[in-house]
Amino acid sequence: MEELKIEKEIAEEISKTFHSAEVTVKREKRVVVKLRDDLITPFLSYAKNNMNFIHLAHISCVDWLEDNKFELIYSLLNYDNKVMILAKTYIDRENPEFVSHTNYWDQAETYEREMREMYGINFKGNKRLTEFILEDWQGIPPMRRDFDTVKFSQDTFYNRPGRENAQDVRTTVTKKSGEEIPEIGKDYTVRNL
Amino acid sequence: MEINWSSVIGIVATPVIAFIVGVLYGGAVRKITARVQNRYGPPITQNLFDIIKLYSKKTAIQHGVMQHLGPVFAITASVTSLYFIPVIKDSPYFQNFSFNGDLIFLLYMMVFGSLGMALGAGQTGNPNSAIGVSRGLSQMVGYEIPFVLALVAIMIQFKTTSLNELLAVQDHFTNWIIFQSPLAFVAGILAFLGMMHYAPFDVVIAPAEIASGPPSEFGGKYLGLMMTSGSIFAFVKLVLFVDIFLGGASDFITLIIKTFLLYMIPVLTGIVSPRFRTEQSILFFWKWPTFIGILAIIVVVLNG
Amino acid sequence: MYNDKDAKKIVDIIQSYARKHSLWVVAYGTGCGAIEIPPTMTSRYDAERFGIRGSATPRQADVLLITGYLAVKTLKRVIRTYEQMQAPKFVMGFGSCTINGGMYWDSYNTINALDRYLPVDVFINGCMPRPEAVISGFIKLQQLISEGKAEGAEKYLKNLEWYRENQNKVIPNWNMPDYNW
Repeated sequence: MEELKIEKEIAEEISKTFHSAEVTVKREKRVVVKLRDDLITPFLSYAKNNMNFIHLAHISCVDWLEDNKFELIYSLLNYDNKVMILAKTYIDRENPEFVSHTNYWDQAETYEREMREMYGINFKGNKRLTEFILEDWQGIPPMRRDFDTVKFSQDTFYNRPGRENAQDVRTTVTKKSGEEIPEIGKDYTVRNL
Repeated sequence: MEINWSSVIGIVATPVIAFIVGVLYGGAVRKITARVQNRYGPPITQNLFDIIKLYSKKTAIQHGVMQHLGPVFAITASVTSLYFIPVIKDSPYFQNFSFNGDLIFLLYMMVFGSLGMALGAGQTGNPNSAIGVSRGLSQMVGYEIPFVLALVAIMIQFKTTSLNELLAVQDHFTNWIIFQSPLAFVAGILAFLGMMHYAPFDVVIAPAEIASGPPSEFGGKYLGLMMTSGSIFAFVKLVLFVDIFLGGASDFITLIIKTFLLYMIPVLTGIVSPRFRTEQSILFFWKWPTFIGILAIIVVVLNG
Repeated sequence: MYNDKDAKKIVDIIQSYARKHSLWVVAYGTGCGAIEIPPTMTSRYDAERFGIRGSATPRQADVLLITGYLAVKTLKRVIRTYEQMQAPKFVMGFGSCTINGGMYWDSYNTINALDRYLPVDVFINGCMPRPEAVISGFIKLQQLISEGKAEGAEKYLKNLEWYRENQNKVIPNWNMPDYNW
């Protein structure tokens, strides 16, 4: 495992500094760190200042509806050794609030605005949490998993007859032309709504 | 008072002829551009279809009085300029109103349309129009200087400000002013490139950048009027340059040949050129064409 | 003998011929389909030979080409653009998304049927329609114009309340100026 040397060094440094962190080397150039939510700010600060992870590539969010949690993922990049750290944490889904990191990276502002709009997470300290992409959105944020997009679309927009659900186009076409679906194609099924 | 019927016929026919020739030239330019770009291109009558369509559109845009008057100013200037140019040499029909001081009059009249358009476009309140107008007027300051210098050189050389007298001087093709005063011709033709608003001097109406500039808020009949005016004005400029430098034309076929060849200079330059910024084009006009124009005057004065 | 009706007929023929051969398309790409417009206009397919030309502003344009999916936010701008255009004006729905939503049929933010919000004269099917399909759509529009059937603008004026109701249903905050078109 000679080729994962840098990644292992980074993982070791992180687990030495943050004892509660759960560090795994996912693959080449990719290190995943799972942290408590109050350790994210110190970790980002440490990674930026001491480990030269100066670039915040992305902040994303995953909705774990069953666990009643939101997972926030901060992607940091080091330009020198091209390693990316994914710092993950869970926050409460009922009253989603988190700390803004606009002080560390200006571009965090945009990602936080987007997440506020799409998931309803309130980032305290972000001065520009205004309307972002969606215009005049009313109702629950659309990227949450309990938001029923099909129902919303059917209620709001006129649905032309013949497009009520994701009909199996293949079946329709074969029925019309009288052809048989080959054996190899029968395994692929369309998501049933 | 006896009415000179031949000149009445000429006065009625001149704008019509100018419009038809100008429109067909516009179509030909589009065709030539298309062929250069390896396309088939629209038919040569395409501009005529466009103008008819624009006139047949219902138009309801209201921004104020000057917005209505802008295109009217433009077409007034075009037709008035046209009337003071002898289209066909020594023809009783197409002398129009040419008089002794018509060169100086034309210098003023040809600017009038652009100024009227500037006022009209200014009232629409569209920022693209305002940008286009400021660019257009700045660029006009650029090319007017070599143009005036070239005309002044010719006026000094032949001691006349009348187009008819200039035509009378050029009785044989060795006496054309292009050969008698080549420096003035060079300055004039470089100014002509800017006057025709083809690339590289088309920053005024840059469609992808400022949404066609001054006419961006004009649609329907206004735009039709402006296209008509543009077609006539192109013809005016061509005939003026043919009259001044290329010995005029004693029949229509000569006129068509000469004006078409002259028209190809800005068109073919335009097809292969990128676009100058405003300050670049002003710099261009104030450098070599102005220098050549001054040189032409100096040469004339020294010889004279 | 001079006959008023005949004269009107002749004028109509000339007008519809000129309209047919001079279609200016407003340069407004709404969805992914806008990528098919450059090849349609340039050397390879050369739409200019049919008199189809791009126009920089809606004031000068005749045809509004809805290229692909239409987000609600874009729909607002499209309606504004459409109402600034001068009659007679035509709308072309481009791609499956404008017909029934296409692959975005269940999206929370794209409309599914364009003709509920704007009067569409011609639909072009496909995802994406190739430049040939676009040109055939334009030729269909030319046919409709010469037959006098492309009257979307009049339909829009006549049924304005119905269109406004549909538009207001998806655009909650209707803060647009009224145009005296």
